[in-house]
Amino acid sequence: MATIENFEFPDELFYTADHVWARAEGNTITIGLTQFGQDVAGDILFVEVPAQGREVAKDEAFMSMESGKWVGRVKSPVSGKVLESNAELEWESDLVNSDPYGTGWLTRLEASDLGELDTLFRADSNEFAAFIAAEKKKYKE
Amino acid sequence: MKLFHLRHIDWLETQLIYHAQPRVNVEGINILAPNSPYVCIGYHQNLEQEVDLQYCSDNNIPVFRREVGGGAVYLDGNQIFYQIVIHKDNPLAAGRKADFFERMLQPVAITYQELGIPAKFRPVNDVITEAGRKIAGTGAVEIGDYIILVGNLIADFDYKMMSRVLRVPDEKYRDKIYKSMTENLTTIKREKGKIPGWDEMVDPLLRNYEKVLGDLEPSELPEMVREKMLDLKPLYLDDQWLFKKRRISGERNIKISTDVNIIQRIHKAPGGLIRTAFELKDDRISNLSISGDFFCYPSGAIGELEKILEGTRLSVVRDNVLKFYEGKELEIPGIAPDDWVKVLVG
Repeated sequence: MATIENFEFPDELFYTADHVWARAEGNTITIGLTQFGQDVAGDILFVEVPAQGREVAKDEAFMSMESGKWVGRVKSPVSGKVLESNAELEWESDLVNSDPYGTGWLTRLEASDLGELDTLFRADSNEFAAFIAAEKKKYKE
Repeated sequence: MKLFHLRHIDWLETQLIYHAQPRVNVEGINILAPNSPYVCIGYHQNLEQEVDLQYCSDNNIPVFRREVGGGAVYLDGNQIFYQIVIHKDNPLAAGRKADFFERMLQPVAITYQELGIPAKFRPVNDVITEAGRKIAGTGAVEIGDYIILVGNLIADFDYKMMSRVLRVPDEKYRDKIYKSMTENLTTIKREKGKIPGWDEMVDPLLRNYEKVLGDLEPSELPEMVREKMLDLKPLYLDDQWLFKKRRISGERNIKISTDVNIIQRIHKAPGGLIRTAFELKDDRISNLSISGDFFCYPSGAIGELEKILEGTRLSVVRDNVLKFYEGKELEIPGIAPDDWVKVLVG
């Protein structure tokens, strides 16, 4: 587990510049919002998850979340097809805040090109640490 | 930044404009109002659950689903809209969401002050008077690479119509909404006794926004925005968009202001369905009504439970429910104290 600017980033995950994490298990990619991402968003009141079978392209905005009357979009870290989404979030959207890497996961995709993961950040890279430090400065100062 | 000062325009255009601008890369601040009333619901709401569609249809009140968050609202020409469309890379868009709201709503609070209404910004996204009453509706959305903040100066507000267009389980609940709104939301007319002229309200608003956004350059709405509005029109009026299911209906929350909510909740207990409706203000329950298809003996016990819970903080609901059960010969089969906690606290 990497800790950057007091936020945790599990080593095994991939990360986007939009504060989305991706966990790869074979072709199945589980995605969620990072601990930093949920902190910046504030209390998540609603999550609209994508329908099973939906085809998405890398960087396509395919989900929405609402916090304090602000509707934000979640972009997909990889291209693929939606296998399932976290149905619990319709009832308990605050799981995204309380357990972002666990029960607050968002959706699972069947990736069409695992090579796209190579374009994402890793928790132990200096580049990612510098990115999070800059983001913290942007959002917190 | 470009200023599109459009005054009163077609109701539908007041919404389509800020949905179109980010799609054709046009930053700007829009100042406008609808020339006829309509109902506007939030992005994550279920239209059928929130709005009395029969009443709206009978009274020719159109309905729109915006991409911005928040709840259903009745909008008319006595509300002056400000809509700020800004690219994410613009330094004005930097910071957390709460910071952005504060930056963009301070000019509104100062404008009210200049109109003689002591008002201030209250995090996360409210503008309130000295008495703590809300005096602006606000919300935000990300579309493509743009952030859009929308809000209104409330010159006057039709409380009766607002409570009438909402779908409610009974008239008692409608009355609850009406009373809560009149107590917690105010207008320029209520505060000052009259509605000032358009320019009297808009001139200070623009002057105060100029201090934050930089020079505002009065501009004609570009043709490409008008064309995109025409493109978007059928999509936003399509039933598939309007009636899209967004939220599960186990709970409904009508937000009156940051700390005042009218909550309606349903819980399926083994002994039957329990329904509650109450006002939650500063984390305390008031005007609670409990109903459902459960059995209760003596029948007056539910009224007693409503009384015991009046003014109760959510954190002590469980303690008060347990007190209600103490020393009583109650028969409420299939409903345990925790079912009451579930339907009240969630």
